[in-house]
Amino acid sequence: MRIKWVLCCLLFLVGFAFAENPSAKRILAGYEALRPSAKDLAMYRLDWEDSLDVALNRAIKENRPICMIIIHAKYGDITSGHC
Amino acid sequence: MAQLQPYIVTSWHGHRNDVGIPSAVKTVWRKKFQLPRRGFPQKQSNVDIALLDSIGRVVHSFDAAYNEEDGRRVAIEQHTARQLQYAAPLLGLGRRSGQLRSLKLPTLNGKRGIRVFVSLGDERMRAYQAPVVEVVPLTDADWQHLAWSAKERPVPAAALKPWLSQIYPPGVMERTDPQTKFVYTIKSTTGELKLTPISPANGKRRAILNGVIRLTDEGPGNFSFQGVIGAVITYPKDDTEPQSLRGYFDGLYPRTDRLHRDTRWLSLQAAFESIPQ
Repeated sequence: MRIKWVLCCLLFLVGFAFAENPSAKRILAGYEALRPSAKDLAMYRLDWEDSLDVALNRAIKENRPICMIIIHAKYGDITSGHC
Repeated sequence: MAQLQPYIVTSWHGHRNDVGIPSAVKTVWRKKFQLPRRGFPQKQSNVDIALLDSIGRVVHSFDAAYNEEDGRRVAIEQHTARQLQYAAPLLGLGRRSGQLRSLKLPTLNGKRGIRVFVSLGDERMRAYQAPVVEVVPLTDADWQHLAWSAKERPVPAAALKPWLSQIYPPGVMERTDPQTKFVYTIKSTTGELKLTPISPANGKRRAILNGVIRLTDEGPGNFSFQGVIGAVITYPKDDTEPQSLRGYFDGLYPRTDRLHRDTRWLSLQAAFESIPQ
């Protein structure tokens, strides 16, 4: 009986030690919820190149067309989305 | 998305009076800004898509946001798909749309830093809900601000400015210098965060970073917004420098609508993760 009681106490303490911290659990759940899904990040399935010059060099070598987005009178970074 | 797979995709921006405008851009703008033969100028946006062949000749171009077809408005995606379909045989693509590439998020080519995803919950401007993805390199000195401490300690938000300053909405039209057309960057991140050690997991020490931060941009009027930060940081058993960080920002952004002359408080949220993972 005494051994059973000690084992129960030990199991309880072990469980307590390995239980996830509730704040950490809440924060990680928040991170998972706010990190965009693969569907939302679909534009990163395109073959982006930083500059037109590099894209042109690659286009010749790889015999591929270029899709260029031209923005007039605004400055931003279309690849990051801060545009 | 499948139709764009054969292309190398890039972007360019500038003014009509800039020096060194690429010839492909000149070709597109010559057509875009030519005076109409009669009647009123056609409605147009400030964004165009040009499709170039492998030697850089413009084969087709179209206004990326002008989406009227035969006098009817159609979805921009639909309009873009039709234009790509039109250009495909001119570029010798035929039905070569191909398989989707695997997702390749921006990285720092092996250097350590933080990836920030930002999204603005604006129902009126749904495009602003598309996530921003920024990667910010961090130095050893930057990481030191989050070094392990066995006791709870304060961390000034100013020390985390390199990556917290990426939390602003996607559209630069939100807060842009009317002269330079560049976005007002975040000039200060203020607030006092707490770094609190918690129970270890998987053999790693851990701490929680949390608190409220305020971000102020460099534009006029001391424009600012604030939100709550939460992050879980892990450390190797025998080192004080952070090994990984995952967290979020949850705040409110005052968007001034010039058309409706009102200010709406929109949800501005972000997720953070250290890279490489």
